[in-house]
Amino acid sequence: MKKSFKNTFVLGCICAVVSVILAFTNALTAPIIEKNESEKANAALSEVLPSGKSFTKLDITGQKLPSTVKEAYRAENGGYVLKLSTTGYAPGMVLMCGISPDGTVAGTKLIASGETPSIGGVAAESFAEKVLGKDASGIDGVDTVGGATKTTAAYRSAVKDALNAAILLGGGDVDIRTEEEILRDNLSAALPSAGGEFEKLFITEDIAGVDDVYKAKNETGFVCVIGEQFIALDMNGEVLSDTTDEIASVARAAMQLLLSTQTTDLTLTDYVGLPTQLISAKVTATGNYIIEIKGIGYGILGGNDYHPASGEYIVIRVSMTADGRIIDCLTVSQGETNGIGSACANESFYGQFDGKTEANYGDIEAIGGATVTTNGYKQAILRAFESVKIFEKGANQ
Amino acid sequence: MDTLKTLVVILLSSVLVNNYVLSRFLGICPFLGVSKKLGQAAGMGVSVTAVMLLASAITWPIQRLILDQLHLEYMQTIVFILVIAALVQMLEIILKKFSPALHKALGVYLPLITTNCAVLGVAINNITDGYTFVESMVSSLGCGLGFLLAMVLFSGLRSRIDESEVPAPFRGLAVTLIAASFISLAFMGLSGIVDSLFA
Amino acid sequence: MKKNGNLSVLTKGIFKENPVFILILGTCPTLATTTNVVGAFGMGIAALVVLLCSNVLISMLRSVIPDGVRIPCYITIIAGFVTMVQMAVQAFFPALYEMLGVYLALIVVNCIILGRAEMFASKNSVGKSALDGIGMGLGFTLALCAMATVREVFGAASFAGIAIPFLADYKIEFLVKAPGGMLVYGLLIALVCALTNGKGPKKKEFTCAGCPSAGYCKTGACQSKKEEA
Repeated sequence: MKKSFKNTFVLGCICAVVSVILAFTNALTAPIIEKNESEKANAALSEVLPSGKSFTKLDITGQKLPSTVKEAYRAENGGYVLKLSTTGYAPGMVLMCGISPDGTVAGTKLIASGETPSIGGVAAESFAEKVLGKDASGIDGVDTVGGATKTTAAYRSAVKDALNAAILLGGGDVDIRTEEEILRDNLSAALPSAGGEFEKLFITEDIAGVDDVYKAKNETGFVCVIGEQFIALDMNGEVLSDTTDEIASVARAAMQLLLSTQTTDLTLTDYVGLPTQLISAKVTATGNYIIEIKGIGYGILGGNDYHPASGEYIVIRVSMTADGRIIDCLTVSQGETNGIGSACANESFYGQFDGKTEANYGDIEAIGGATVTTNGYKQAILRAFESVKIFEKGANQ
Repeated sequence: MDTLKTLVVILLSSVLVNNYVLSRFLGICPFLGVSKKLGQAAGMGVSVTAVMLLASAITWPIQRLILDQLHLEYMQTIVFILVIAALVQMLEIILKKFSPALHKALGVYLPLITTNCAVLGVAINNITDGYTFVESMVSSLGCGLGFLLAMVLFSGLRSRIDESEVPAPFRGLAVTLIAASFISLAFMGLSGIVDSLFA
Repeated sequence: MKKNGNLSVLTKGIFKENPVFILILGTCPTLATTTNVVGAFGMGIAALVVLLCSNVLISMLRSVIPDGVRIPCYITIIAGFVTMVQMAVQAFFPALYEMLGVYLALIVVNCIILGRAEMFASKNSVGKSALDGIGMGLGFTLALCAMATVREVFGAASFAGIAIPFLADYKIEFLVKAPGGMLVYGLLIALVCALTNGKGPKKKEFTCAGCPSAGYCKTGACQSKKEEA
C-alpha cells in the first residue's frame, strides 16, 4: 500500500511540475506564435493592399453584399481586402482584391482558377494591371482582353463587386443587383400580385412598340415592357398600371392581339423541299409562322475525352412574319457542353435574333469558346427562313 | 447523404490513399518488426485498430470538451500519450480478467502499441483535421484497417523473401525496406481513386 | 582512461551504435522528414534537444522514480520536453513547424528517446547521460541529413532548398515520395552493412535490446523475433 502511494505521489508530482513548466513556456511563446500567425495572414492581405498594415476579418454573414464576396477584411487605414469567387471560362475562379481607402483598386491577385493557363491565365495577369486605380464608376470602362473575353469579363465584374462591397461595408449605398434581379424587381413592382414569379411570353405577333411581354406564373396578369416602362395588365388584357393613354393603348392593343391569336398546324408532308431538321410549323391567323427546328451543335458533332457528345440537338422555336422577319426566338432544349455551349439557352444569346432577317441574322455575338454551337444555331435559323419561304409558296409546289 | 459520402471518402482515403504505414510512415516499427508471419501480422493489425478506435473515442472528447474549453491546447501531446498508455494497460488487464482467450490471441501485442506512433498520430490528426466525433471514429477505423491491410499484404511478401537468396549486405532489414517500398509504390497508384469515385 | 570512456559514450551514438543505421530506431521520422535537408536537420536537432534534456532529467531523478511507474514517468517527462520544443519551434521557426507537422509531436513516441531513457539514463550518471544524449542526437541528425541529402539532391535537384541546376533535368521525383524514402533507407542500410562487413544492422534487427517497450513487455511478444535475430 505504501509503495503504491509513493508511485502515485511521484508520478503526480512529475505531472504537476511538467504542467507548470509547460504553462510557463506557453505563456512565453504564445504571444510570439500569435504574432507570427497574424503577420503571415497580414502578408497575404498586404500583397493586394500595400498601404494596409494590420487587418481585421469582418463578419459578413447576413450583410447585403454581392454574392461573389466570400471574405472581407478591413485594414487599419480604412481600406478593404475582399476575397471573391466567380466563374470565368470555367467555375472556380478565386481572387483577392484590395480596395484603397479612397475607393480605388489597390491590387488584385488570382488565387485559383480553372482558366486555360496560356490564354485566360495570361489575360488575367495583364488585366490585373489594367484595373489598378479604377473606382466603382471607372471599372466598366476597362476593356476586356481579346481572346479571353469571358475570363476578363468575369474578372472585371468580380473587381466591380469588390469595389461595391467596399462602399457597402464603409456604410455607403450602391445598387448591387444583377440585371435579372433588376428585371424581376421591376416586374414585381408593376404587378405585385404575381409574387415575383414571371415567365417570358413567346410572342407570335407583330406588336409594334412593345419590347417584351411577361406572364405571371400564377395567372394573375401580364406585364408589357415598353421602353423603360413596365405596364401591368390583367388576364383579359385590361391595363392596370397608371400610365399615359398613349402607352396604355399600345399595351392594350398588343395584348388583344396576343390573346386573340389562333394558330393552325401545318402538315409538313404537304410541302416540297422542307429542311429535314424541321420539327413542326404553325401559322397564325395574322399570317405569321411559328417554327420549331433542330440545330446541329456540339451535342451532335462534338465529343472528346473531356466533353463527350450528349447526342442532343439544339431545339429552337422561332416566330417570324410571312416576309421573313424574326419576331421572337427561344431555345427549347439543348445538350451543349455545360458552361460553354449551354449559353445558347440564355436569353442574352437567342434574344439577339429578334427583329433579324435573312440578310442580317448573322450579325450576332457568338458564344465565347463555342463556335460549333453558334454555327449550328445560325444554320437552324437560316433553315427556318427557308422553310417560311416554302410555306409562302403554298402546298405541293 | 452528403455526410455519408464524406464518411465513405474519409474511410476509403485513410485505408487506401493516405495509408498510415505506406504513405505517412506512421507505425513503421511494428510494420517491419511483427510482419514475419501472417498470424502475427493480423493479430497486431486487429489490436492496433481496436486501440486506435478506443483512443480516438477518448481523446476527441478530452480535446474538445476539456482542453479547448480551458485553453490548454498545449497539453495535447502529453495528455494524449498518457491517455493512450493508460488505455493500453487497462485494456490488457481487462482482457486478461474477462476474456483470457482474446488476451492470449491479442494481449501479447498490446504493450508494443503504447509507443506505436500511428495511434498517437491518428488521435492528433483527427483534431488538426477538424473532424467531428463521428468523422474521427471513421478515420480511426480507416487508419486501423489500412494498417491491418498493409501488415497482412506485407507478411505475404516477406514469406517469399525468406525463401529467396538475398545478397549478403541486403539480408535482413535492407531487403525488407526495399520490398516495403514496392508495396508503397503500388499504393501510390491508388491516389486519386477516391476523388474520382465520387466525382 | 575516464576521459576516453566519456569520449566513447559520445561517439558510439554517432558511429558504432548509430540509432538510425545500426540500431534501426526512430524509423518513422527517418522516412517521413527526410524529403529535404532543412526538415531533416530541424527534426534531428529537435530530437537531440529532447533527448539531451530528458536524458539529463531522468538521470537526475533516477533514484527518486519508483520502478513500478518509471515508464509513465519517462513518458510524461519526454512529452513535456517535446511540447516545449514544439512551442519553441512554432514561435521561432514557423516555416519548419509547418514542414514537420505532426511528426514534431510524434518525437514523443520516437523509440530512440524512450529507449535511451530506459537503457542508459536510468542507469548512468548525469554527465554520461548528457553525453549519450548528445551523441545519439548527433547520430540521429547526421543519419537524417545523409538520407535527406540523397533524397533531395537526386529527387528534387536541390540541396537545403538551393537548386542544383545541372541536375534539374534528371530528377528522380520518386525519391521524394513515400516509396522512395523506404528504398533509399533500405539501400543505405545495405551500404552501411557492406561497409561494416555485416557486423551492423543484421544482427540487431528488432531485438528487445533496442525496443523501448521491453521494460514492461513481459509477455514476450518479441520472442519469435529474438530467436530469429
